[in-house]
Amino acid sequence: MSSLSYQEKSLYGALIADLAVFVPYLHFIHQRQPPLNAIITAVTILIVANIVLQSVIAALTRNRLTDERDRLIRLRGYRAGYFTVVGLMLLGMAMLWVHTSLGQMQPSHMALHFLSVFYAILILAEVVKTVTQLVAYRRAI
Amino acid sequence: MPGLSNTIRELRAARSMTQQQLADSIGVTRQTVIAIEGDKYSPSLEVAFRIAQVFDEPLESVFQYRDARPASKRGK
Repeated sequence: MSSLSYQEKSLYGALIADLAVFVPYLHFIHQRQPPLNAIITAVTILIVANIVLQSVIAALTRNRLTDERDRLIRLRGYRAGYFTVVGLMLLGMAMLWVHTSLGQMQPSHMALHFLSVFYAILILAEVVKTVTQLVAYRRAI
Repeated sequence: MPGLSNTIRELRAARSMTQQQLADSIGVTRQTVIAIEGDKYSPSLEVAFRIAQVFDEPLESVFQYRDARPASKRGK
């Protein structure tokens, strides 16, 4: 762990927080309809977990220097995350539209489903972004 | 390997300089120095000049460029 740079430690922290909140959330919504407070709770826990983890990592890391390679890797990650959001958003919208037009979903439930799907897409994009950056660091691009 | 290569490792060894010392003197992380030495990352012109200044060598003796494109596609 000591051989990792501050950015890598920070990315591992973010990935752990994302997965620790999102996997139980997915398990929860797989069993029942996602109530609004489940989404709000998941978002809140994720924000708090990220703040705590990043604070601990920053406190334990002496050298927090960021250079041009870090910025390049960050851009690569954001690009991967952006394409994930766009791709999954189109897929999610198409699925919502199909379910609604087939009468499998009441229009009153659509907003909540959209919110749930939107949250899932954002988390997946975040995971793709983080993994892309970690791979770039490991391959020393 | 085609593209940019360098002699940083040899220059550093000749001066008994560690990767961390070089990184500190040019304002990048040690991981970036490792990536540059391994020809995995091409530094910006500014960092390349800083490295050459640290070793007190001309830029072209620290970095070498080999054009991998076929001769027909190279500029005249």
